[in-house]
Amino acid sequence: MEFISSSLHAALVLILAFDSEVVQAIWTSLYTSGCAIVLAAIFGIPGGLLIGLNSFQGKRLVITGLNTLMALPTVVVGLVVYGMLSRQGPLGDWGLLFTPLAMIIGQTILATPIVANYTLAAVNGADQRIITTAMTLGAGALQSALQLLKEVRFGIMAAVIAGFGRVIAEVGVAMMLGGNIRGYTRTMTTSIALETSKGEFAFGLALGLVLMTVALLVNLFLNLLQQR
Amino acid sequence: MMKAIYTLQNIQLSRGTTFTLQVERLELMGGGIYALSGPNGAGKSTLLGVMAMLMLPDSGALHFAGKMVCGKISERKKLRRQITLVEQTPYMFEGNVFQNLAFGLRLRGTRGNQQRRLIVQALEDVGLGGFDGRNVRELSRGETQRVALARALVLRPKVLLLDEPTVNIDDKRVSAFEELLIKLSQQGMTIVFSTHDPDQPGRLGAEVIRLREGWVEDAPERGLSPA
Repeated sequence: MEFISSSLHAALVLILAFDSEVVQAIWTSLYTSGCAIVLAAIFGIPGGLLIGLNSFQGKRLVITGLNTLMALPTVVVGLVVYGMLSRQGPLGDWGLLFTPLAMIIGQTILATPIVANYTLAAVNGADQRIITTAMTLGAGALQSALQLLKEVRFGIMAAVIAGFGRVIAEVGVAMMLGGNIRGYTRTMTTSIALETSKGEFAFGLALGLVLMTVALLVNLFLNLLQQR
Repeated sequence: MMKAIYTLQNIQLSRGTTFTLQVERLELMGGGIYALSGPNGAGKSTLLGVMAMLMLPDSGALHFAGKMVCGKISERKKLRRQITLVEQTPYMFEGNVFQNLAFGLRLRGTRGNQQRRLIVQALEDVGLGGFDGRNVRELSRGETQRVALARALVLRPKVLLLDEPTVNIDDKRVSAFEELLIKLSQQGMTIVFSTHDPDQPGRLGAEVIRLREGWVEDAPERGLSPA
């Protein structure tokens, strides 16, 4: 018990002292996950909307595929993207492996199915009259779809938050594609894994606390928006 | 001389496996008031949906204001902007009454003072003056129905389609509502409404189009060609 409390104390000291390594890991995590979720929203929200609003052959198959991709293991994404970006891979010349951009690519692949699936659920659960009402008032297909998005915005926000939660907490992609390079691609999660294995439990705990705080802040923000 | 605003010819539209709307020929004149009557499931709402261009018929020809309604989305959107449909249980967009009435005006580029003036007028027309700031989730069913009517009227459409418009309105308000419809018709607006009230068409001086199981059973003489 003393081990936990002394580690917690040391962790708080590290956080309050703005330890440069801690700050750098927090920044890298927020930057890569932030970029990835923006990209995932750009692909996932219209994707979910299109699937939800249209009837087409193979729709059920696409939805099953999306559901499967939601449970995609992070190390599998890491492995596939690693294969593409490594020296011998088809995109090896781009020199992206072990850069924040490689991590962003991997995390975007992880988050997009989540954002698309949650958007699809929000669209499917929306009142069917939203589109017809917008159309009877003179809206075109795009304007009606935008009005639908506005009406289900909390579902869309939940989609983005869920996607963000997935990427900020993952280790596999960040480790395999970022390489856990100190001061460059080291994130909160890869730091926790590394420092704990080195016996630096307090350092890992400090980052764990920050990670929890980020999750709490994101949820508080969502609640605040819902109450408005 | 009044011109036909709608001409429907050999229209067929299947919904599900059991229902098909079939209209051999139907012509509605601009500025007229038409009542769609018939039992539940007769096809009144489907016919209104076709007239509102929300549903494309499987076959047949629909002409609106002399133009053939085709599958081209941009063309249909242009024609649809001259029509508004108020559904039996209208959907209100999140927000307040003003925002709901502003929706269609914004799409037509009407903003600022002119937008506000039109909204205030439309709300007064339906007896809801001063309701513009009300949250739509706090309205009663009758008020919602009237806000939906104001939301349609504010757009000054050529054709107003109403699906059972007085079903949620209390008796006191029905006569004011009917007077408003007569006034709008006198101003040149074509009004097509569905109703279960057998006396309502008479009170409004409406021509009755009777539907049964998807067929037009009876319609004004010039509106229905001989079989």
